[in-house]
Amino acid sequence: MAVAAGGVVAPRRRRWRNLLEERRFLAPVLIAPAVLFVVVIVGVPLGWAIYLSLTDAIGGSLTGKWVGFDNFTDAWRDQNFRNALENTLIITLAAQVLVVAGAAVLSHFLVRDFRGKWFVRLLVILPWAAPVSLVTIGWLWIFDSLFSIVNWTLGKVHLIGVLCGAFSVDGCSATNPPPWLGHPNLAMFAIIVVHAWRVLPFAVVIFIAGLASIPTEVEDAAKIDGATGLRKFWYVTLPLQLPIALVAVLFGIVFTAADFAVVFVLTRGGPFNSTQVLTTWSETIGIESGRVGAGAAISLYLFPLLLVVTILMLFFARRAQVT
Amino acid sequence: MAEANDDLEGACSGLTRRELVQRGTAAAFSVSMFGGLAERAFAFAGPLKYKNRHLKGDLKIMQWSHFVPDYDKWLDNVYIKRWGEKNDVQVKIDHIDNSLLPATAASEAAAQSGHDLFQFLFPPAALEQQTIPLNDVVQEVTKKLGKMTDVAYRSSYNPKTKRYFGFADNYVPDPIHYRHSFWFNAGIAPNTWDNVRKAAAKLKAAGHPVGLGMSSELDSRMFLMSLLYCYGGALQTADNKPSINSKGTVEALKVMRDIYQQGESDEVFAWTASSNNQAFLAGRLSLAVNAISIARSAEASGNTALSDDTWIAPIPRGPVRRLGNEHVMGVFFIWKFANNKAAAKKYLVDQQLGYRDHFLQSKFYNFPAWTSAVKGGFKTMRKLTAADNHKPSGKYTVLTTIAEKYTTNIGYPGFGNAAIGDIFNQSLIPQMFAQVAQGKMSPEDAARSMQGQFKTIFAKWKEQGLM
Amino acid sequence: MRKAGTYLVVGPFAIVLAFPFYWALTTMFKRDRDLYNTKSIPYVYNDNGGHAHWDFWNYMTFHHVSFLFKHTEYPTWVENTLIVGVAVVAITLVLALPAGYALARLSGGWGQSMGVAIFLVYLVPPTLLFLPLSRLITELDLKDTLWSLILVYPSFTIPFATWLLMGFFKTIPQELEDAALVDGCSRLRALRRIVFPISLPGILTVVIFSFSLCVNEFIYAFTFTSSTAHRTISAGVPNELIRGDVFFWQSLMAAVLIPSIPLALLYNSFLDRFIKGFTGGAFR
Repeated sequence: MAVAAGGVVAPRRRRWRNLLEERRFLAPVLIAPAVLFVVVIVGVPLGWAIYLSLTDAIGGSLTGKWVGFDNFTDAWRDQNFRNALENTLIITLAAQVLVVAGAAVLSHFLVRDFRGKWFVRLLVILPWAAPVSLVTIGWLWIFDSLFSIVNWTLGKVHLIGVLCGAFSVDGCSATNPPPWLGHPNLAMFAIIVVHAWRVLPFAVVIFIAGLASIPTEVEDAAKIDGATGLRKFWYVTLPLQLPIALVAVLFGIVFTAADFAVVFVLTRGGPFNSTQVLTTWSETIGIESGRVGAGAAISLYLFPLLLVVTILMLFFARRAQVT
Repeated sequence: MAEANDDLEGACSGLTRRELVQRGTAAAFSVSMFGGLAERAFAFAGPLKYKNRHLKGDLKIMQWSHFVPDYDKWLDNVYIKRWGEKNDVQVKIDHIDNSLLPATAASEAAAQSGHDLFQFLFPPAALEQQTIPLNDVVQEVTKKLGKMTDVAYRSSYNPKTKRYFGFADNYVPDPIHYRHSFWFNAGIAPNTWDNVRKAAAKLKAAGHPVGLGMSSELDSRMFLMSLLYCYGGALQTADNKPSINSKGTVEALKVMRDIYQQGESDEVFAWTASSNNQAFLAGRLSLAVNAISIARSAEASGNTALSDDTWIAPIPRGPVRRLGNEHVMGVFFIWKFANNKAAAKKYLVDQQLGYRDHFLQSKFYNFPAWTSAVKGGFKTMRKLTAADNHKPSGKYTVLTTIAEKYTTNIGYPGFGNAAIGDIFNQSLIPQMFAQVAQGKMSPEDAARSMQGQFKTIFAKWKEQGLM
Repeated sequence: MRKAGTYLVVGPFAIVLAFPFYWALTTMFKRDRDLYNTKSIPYVYNDNGGHAHWDFWNYMTFHHVSFLFKHTEYPTWVENTLIVGVAVVAITLVLALPAGYALARLSGGWGQSMGVAIFLVYLVPPTLLFLPLSRLITELDLKDTLWSLILVYPSFTIPFATWLLMGFFKTIPQELEDAALVDGCSRLRALRRIVFPISLPGILTVVIFSFSLCVNEFIYAFTFTSSTAHRTISAGVPNELIRGDVFFWQSLMAAVLIPSIPLALLYNSFLDRFIKGFTGGAFR
């Protein structure tokens, strides 16, 4: 009896096992949970948000009357929205330039050995380890109109005039220090600095990983060929670092463009709505002013922007990849 | 440690150990002390009929973190406990920063779940469709206390739908704070806007500029609209049509431009709600338009040289009138999906009827929407404020005068409707003033362009049927 | 000479990056009269008149730090943040490890495109999603609990984790697994016994990154929880320590520093492993 039962059971178990061995079956089984999770938690709300952007929903309501693309065209007609779009682009681009330049240089030196390397790395990592909303509050005081530590320092080294000239801020002096968050140019600069400061550690680490991934054979070959210093950097290091670098830039762009906390805490979009970005302007219109559909539409302008950037970057990353 | 776990369980299972114990205690206490709730409940005449079982339960309230921390301490630890025990309701208040109230409200509306009572600091007109009309509650209180003040009426009533979308609970007058010694030295009193304009340059030269903000926050928004009123301008007409393009507006823009160019620096564009406070308390500013949190902070800091020199006065007079906005307007609403509407309504009524305590505990910050809520009305309030013994003596008396005569709602002379709320939150008025002050636009162009924007916004809300 | 060059470059960077934390460290012990005095030297401790002294310990105060711990629910928030972080990291690993592996090994051509598709999830900002998500959270009866965050956060940690692990698994030689298969392991067993242990650096990478994303998140943390006892530090600190008019700067700075330093130490210790994780450790 037992033998017969065993005989009946065994083939079925083997069949299951074979199924799981099957690539075509195993792959979806492994991927499905992750995809399902993301689709439900992100996809469903996204679909809903897209629906909202096509309605005139107000006051936190999740339903409204159909208005087609009116929200999108109305947004475009609003000068404040156009400024927000422009600012998003400027801030993201400028911050990334700073990040890439800084990370490329810093990573180059951080792979060398020197005394205190561990401690220096700790200091470099700190901005990344701190919660962004809290640390930006700290920057609020650093840029305070009255108590700014930056102004105090600049004042002591007599660089205030230079700074004001560079940003075309009138009427600056030691007794009338630059209002970091009160002048559109300075405020934009402050926001860019905080974004770059926050993303730099992350980029440095990725760049270091990129440098570490250069195969030793390539290093040795370069040495044999006599490529050193700048030439080595340009012809060997840079091309090999490029795929990783692009990844870092891509994430940096996403984190900066889709970020809400930094601008919200530092300037609330001020002075006089001149530093609004898409995320903060969508919150102002959609939540504070109560026009949910309009706010959703403003938010959605971000998507195609980032999509284009993402596709471009991944395309170049694939091209530049050394197999 | 245990607390956190309790709450986690509670979310899934409905009633935690702690809540059960608390309710048991509250029930036992009230039964033993008041011998049955029924009589009290049925003592209410009028459209509201409370039955015993409707009052048992929870009441969840969301309101702002008061600028006078002692008020919240009293409210959370004394008042709601007392009220809750009297009414056999477990009251829970959450406080958040006022700037985050709209986002939390939107989230609750989207979720169709949240607190029972929610407080806004400006008329929550845009949420009308998500809330229940409070006409009955208003009626109840009016029966006992007479009519509410104009400020309150026009901040909580929608003439189009004939609904009270909110219950106006309190308003906060917005005086000016000024450093008496600095103005004395300048030889001018900040009694009219013209005087302020004249003194601005002198004060700046003395290192003590005036602190009139033009930034995207509460203080600036309120103050700049007040400036408009003083010069005869307004955002809309009495029958709620946009009217920002007027001679009064242009005049106000010109005055502010002069004051800024002669007497202020760019910092005023960057201020948060606390910046003018900080600058004043650091001894830098000579004038600020702000609720009395500045004066109270000065007193609390122990810096008598500063606090004795800080005088309070009504908003300066313009050529047309002397009138200012409230600093904040406390309006409560009850969600359509609230769990305990009966308790919420009773809470509102009781709070207003007993407002004297709130008036005192907030250190005269909160004035009641129904003046008779403090027995004797403004006469009594004047006496109470005069009794404050901070120097210069009697300095808070003028607060009552401001509350009585010189305070109005946003949207004056019309109602605080959804369009006004929209404009208010986009900081369009500070933006307009800032652009003119910086010379980016002429006053006439700015007013005209703003009128165009207003028309669009008003039209949008009209389509919603709210206006 | 080279060493000097290194310090010359690295030094300024380290100063700029760490300077706000130095400032936070000094500020959290400053007295009010020192902080709000325009005459004070910001970098050190001063007396009421704005003069610095060498015996700076006489001009410090612990009042604000103890305020943070005694009069706010800061310890609760830290605890909540840890709970959420650990739970989310666990969920992320459970879901992303198999997915990353499958995409690297088993999906052939469309694995790459799937990788990109996963990444697109990041392009939707939370400022847009939090309203419908509020509804979802409420329907699931999770409003005002930590579970709401634990449920939602993986939605932005999983995509990156999957993508990262996918890249990582690609660098592990197929031969290792094939050898195990030849030895008689089923694919699943090979996965468990051979591949996952080797991929520890990759896993550490995911842990660090997911945890930091959770700690940073602000919008959901704020709107999904409303009572103080359920908040994380991201949401609780700004709410309690900023009362409209008044910023409790010293306590705020303490609140920033306290989680940052341990996290930075942790990340730093794992940095080498992290780098190996990124490059698959196959080369250096």
